[in-house]
Amino acid sequence: MWFVRFLTSSIGKKFLMATTGLLLFLFLCTHVAGNATIFMSSEVFQSYADELHSHPLIVIVFSFSLLLVFLAHILVGLYLFYENRQVSNSRYAVTTRVVKNSFASSTMPYTGLFILAFLVVHIFGFTFAPHDSLISVTVKDLLSNFFYALFYILAFVALTIHLSHGFWSMLQTFGVNHPRYNALIARLSLILPLFFLLIFGGIAFYFMSGLGASF
Amino acid sequence: MSSINLTLKIWRQPNSDALGNLETYTLDSISTDMSFLEMLDVLNEKLTKEGKDPVAFDHDCREGICGMCGAIVDGVAHGPEKEVTLCQLHMRHFASGDTIVIEPFRSRAFPIKKDLLIDRSALDRIIQSGGYVSVNTGGTPDGNSIPIPSPQAELAMDAAACIGCGACVASCPNGAAMLFTSAKISQLCLLPQGQVERKERALAMVAQMDKEGFGNCTNFKECEAVCPKGISIRNIARLNKEYFKGIFLEG
Repeated sequence: MWFVRFLTSSIGKKFLMATTGLLLFLFLCTHVAGNATIFMSSEVFQSYADELHSHPLIVIVFSFSLLLVFLAHILVGLYLFYENRQVSNSRYAVTTRVVKNSFASSTMPYTGLFILAFLVVHIFGFTFAPHDSLISVTVKDLLSNFFYALFYILAFVALTIHLSHGFWSMLQTFGVNHPRYNALIARLSLILPLFFLLIFGGIAFYFMSGLGASF
Repeated sequence: MSSINLTLKIWRQPNSDALGNLETYTLDSISTDMSFLEMLDVLNEKLTKEGKDPVAFDHDCREGICGMCGAIVDGVAHGPEKEVTLCQLHMRHFASGDTIVIEPFRSRAFPIKKDLLIDRSALDRIIQSGGYVSVNTGGTPDGNSIPIPSPQAELAMDAAACIGCGACVASCPNGAAMLFTSAKISQLCLLPQGQVERKERALAMVAQMDKEGFGNCTNFKECEAVCPKGISIRNIARLNKEYFKGIFLEG
């Protein structure tokens, strides 16, 4: 079966990581747009949440697709991490990295796992929150807690680091590498993750610092 | 001409099955005009005179074009100078009193034969799996008789510059052979002669690469940074595309 051969090959597994990574990135784009309504007012945010949940079919289909994409990204990622560790464990007495700024690429599995831990906390905090209170109240209650918000901000920093390698790496895997566009791609690989940090981190900071006390 | 005194820590391993270890040697008055391999020659001469086993290392042309030499010098494949093989690295890049750690290129697919000598036949098998160009291309064509756009010819030539030394594999944190394989695939897929078997070749070479036990590429870019021929990871992007085309259309 050509498809099985593809997915078990080294390039196929990378392709799976890149494709699921792209889908997760697109999900982040919609999520950040929705959450940005918090900065407008609690009513706007609440009406956005109500509108979204008035279409249960869309929510269910999207939630399960998203779960599948997440599982694929995490499981294939962990499998690659395990495979590569077997090759690379303690090879040399002296190891010198020639590439500068390789922090993001060498910490991908760790930033990824930290984001996973965040996801668990985030889903239990919001998705599975008791339904007797409004989501706009829950968000204020939870993020007004200093350490809860700090954990969120740290997770968004990890996300930024993860994406600063992931975005470029995804395009490289898809075969997008051309001198004419490489400078643009390098810039986007920095600007897009920072944009997510600004909005998502901004929301946590908004409540943490007390700016959103009257939310 | 100045000379320097060095302490060398070299990986010694009698054969593939033996456990190896780093041995320490001292070398005095090494001319800074010597190449790295000439410095190792001086050491071997000294060891031979002392009745000890000389350090085994690969070398052939000693002018940076054959791809035989190579070792990890202080953690960097082919040493600290950019875009040169070990034979073209000169001792002027080191200072008196330096301790230099010399280890063989390591990978699961590169068994150590002796000391710094490794078996890189896995790379040959990747090339073999690519097969032949089956169209009859006749004798040597006259210059410029096959119309190939200059940028295309240049890209193919850049890829063909790969000498198969294995530094990309040795420096890759995952021990991947993607840069090597991508260069070999690029040099053929960019030219008209390579079109007939283009898809088959990509599939066969990637399958062989995986079979040999090389790791997965995670885009660390270390390979590109140490490549003595400056092969770009743009070739890896091209390899990915070639593989997709192959597997989706002919796999």
